[in-house]
Amino acid sequence: MARVQLDDVVKRYDDVTAVDNMNLEIRDGEFVVLVGPSGCGKSTTMETVAGLTHPTSGTVNIGDREVTRLPPKDRGISMVFQNIALFPHMDVYDNISFGLRLREYEKAEIDERVERAASVVQMEGMLDRMPDAMSGGQRQRVAIARAIVREPEVFLMDEPLANLDAKLRVTMRTELQRLHKELDTTIIYVTHNQAEAMTMADRIAVLNAGHLQQIDPPLVCYNEPSNLFVAGFIGSPSMNFARGEVTNDGYRSVNGHLGIEFDPMDAGVQPDQSVTLGVRPEDVYPVADAESADEPSDPVAVTSDVLEPMGDEIFVYLLTNPDADVDLEDQNADNQLLMSVSPDSDIEADEEMDVVFDRSKIHLFDGDSGDAIVHGITNLSTGAGSGTAEAEGDD
Amino acid sequence: MTTSQEDPTVAGSFDERELERGPIQEWVNRAIEDPERAYRAMFYVAMLFFMVTTLFPFYWLLVVAVTPGSSYALVPAGVDLSAFGSVFERIDFLRYMFNSLFLATVTTVFVLLLASLAGYVFGRLEFPGRQPLMLLILAISYFPPAAFFLPLYRLFTGNVFPWLELYNTPGSMVLPFSSLFMPLSIFILTTFYGQIPDGLEDAARVEGTTRLGALFRVIIPLSAPGVATAGVLTFIAVYNEFFFSFLMTDGGAGDWAPIVGGLIQLQRAGQFEVTFSVMAAGSIIAVLPVTILVVVAQEKIVSGLTSGALKE
Repeated sequence: MARVQLDDVVKRYDDVTAVDNMNLEIRDGEFVVLVGPSGCGKSTTMETVAGLTHPTSGTVNIGDREVTRLPPKDRGISMVFQNIALFPHMDVYDNISFGLRLREYEKAEIDERVERAASVVQMEGMLDRMPDAMSGGQRQRVAIARAIVREPEVFLMDEPLANLDAKLRVTMRTELQRLHKELDTTIIYVTHNQAEAMTMADRIAVLNAGHLQQIDPPLVCYNEPSNLFVAGFIGSPSMNFARGEVTNDGYRSVNGHLGIEFDPMDAGVQPDQSVTLGVRPEDVYPVADAESADEPSDPVAVTSDVLEPMGDEIFVYLLTNPDADVDLEDQNADNQLLMSVSPDSDIEADEEMDVVFDRSKIHLFDGDSGDAIVHGITNLSTGAGSGTAEAEGDD
Repeated sequence: MTTSQEDPTVAGSFDERELERGPIQEWVNRAIEDPERAYRAMFYVAMLFFMVTTLFPFYWLLVVAVTPGSSYALVPAGVDLSAFGSVFERIDFLRYMFNSLFLATVTTVFVLLLASLAGYVFGRLEFPGRQPLMLLILAISYFPPAAFFLPLYRLFTGNVFPWLELYNTPGSMVLPFSSLFMPLSIFILTTFYGQIPDGLEDAARVEGTTRLGALFRVIIPLSAPGVATAGVLTFIAVYNEFFFSFLMTDGGAGDWAPIVGGLIQLQRAGQFEVTFSVMAAGSIIAVLPVTILVVVAQEKIVSGLTSGALKE
């Protein structure tokens, strides 16, 4: 067990900067998930911690030691790889004991530890199997056993569940959480699957384009995303965004069809400031369900476009301006709004209707930098921050 | 006749023509109707040609070895195996064989070790100048070996450095053999080592090996067919090598002369006549180790050569 600290880590390849000025502190025993889209630098960050790649500049500390230049074997880490990477020419026992044999442990000690690691991942009795005679889930469990058998200080997992089928992935997810509870080891976990990130992490580190965007517990990332990227990346389906600007009495979208009233001074914004409004699909309600919202906003006139019944909910695509084209390529498709409603709703396509937003769940982001300005626009007299249950009149 | 040629029914006209043709024409006609026959015939002709050109000299060797006296015929007049015994009685042929096997083994080990390191670097690392270096190695392997002989002879006989005298020692042959046969092994191993997934090497390094350790514990074992191919090819090439084997020793068994030297000694083994039968018997014995090796390892060689070729 140890903490991991990255200071000003930069990793530059010939033409790209994979990791740019990364500062990351992972506490002892913490389960941190690095999440981000492909090419965001999460795997490079992990390889830097593992020692498989050396940073261009910056330092890496594990525990109280600086390990920036140490080879992987001397860092007290172990790793589970995306492609599982069991040695195909060795049976399960030899795979698990590989690291112990290299360190010349006593035979009895090796046997005992392998036995214990195998039982943690429920692979006892399969020690003489070869990797190609096992299923994907079994191989992954052997890989985990190989990683835990040395009792490392830090446990690195690079998309370990990516190659498993959907059902097995969910099972293994639970097993990994159980494992973390049992071992209490620091775990750094890389994934691009935000469901894995949300369910397993103590804290999520969201990366984009080599930069750390936010590192916070999952629900904080969800409820108080620090910028547009995090807001759009965390949560599925993604948050609705509408570009617009601050008026004297609130917010108005660029196309003029979406408006929320509030006192700009209380929200910490200036009139004429360009902002992006963000609201999650589940915080949009048909006007009939307005009382379900903690803090319903004024109704907004929309037209339903397409319905996607998911079984447990229905996604309704709404157009604020039905006459304009929908630009699906634009992430901030100002005209389109996604609403999630309960499956017994009787909304139909191409229906004119009114919707309300939950004001306590409305986010405003700076139009230029994308940084969050305010989360929830209720009771703004207390200043910027998450909304409270207390109502605020639409002045 | 005219009517039948103009007859639109094709079958009828074919029947007519077949009757007019000789056996060769008939065969050709059938081959045209069924091209498989022609291919099969070409296959047999080609096979027969290769069998005769490659195996007949060997058969003749056998005839010479077992024929008593010196009147050789396609079918030997009698069978006299005494020549095989004389091979070992007249000279220390076993020592020559040992020399050959020893040189081949040492060279193979040496080549595999160095080619493994080179193959790792060329197959798994990115570095500036990789391609030119690879080409340079290829170019060297195409140089005529004779071009190296003079400088090497001077060097090994102590004319360059008085303290370096390798003539009549294994070193004088192992070194040139290694450099001549190394490029092929480097190419084979580069292909194989390059195919091992990075994840396995990373896993080995995280588990506690160095890069070199990962090479020997994971990459080489997983490339066994490639290593076997490179090893067998090197072994056979050295065992069969003539040029340096002949020139880098005085030809005595104690001078580390390989089988070439032994066969030449056998030529002089008779006192007043050239003992062809004993030489032939010695040649046959000399072929045996390679034959056995090829039979044992041929599956690996084939799989190694083809899998390397396919995956590249």
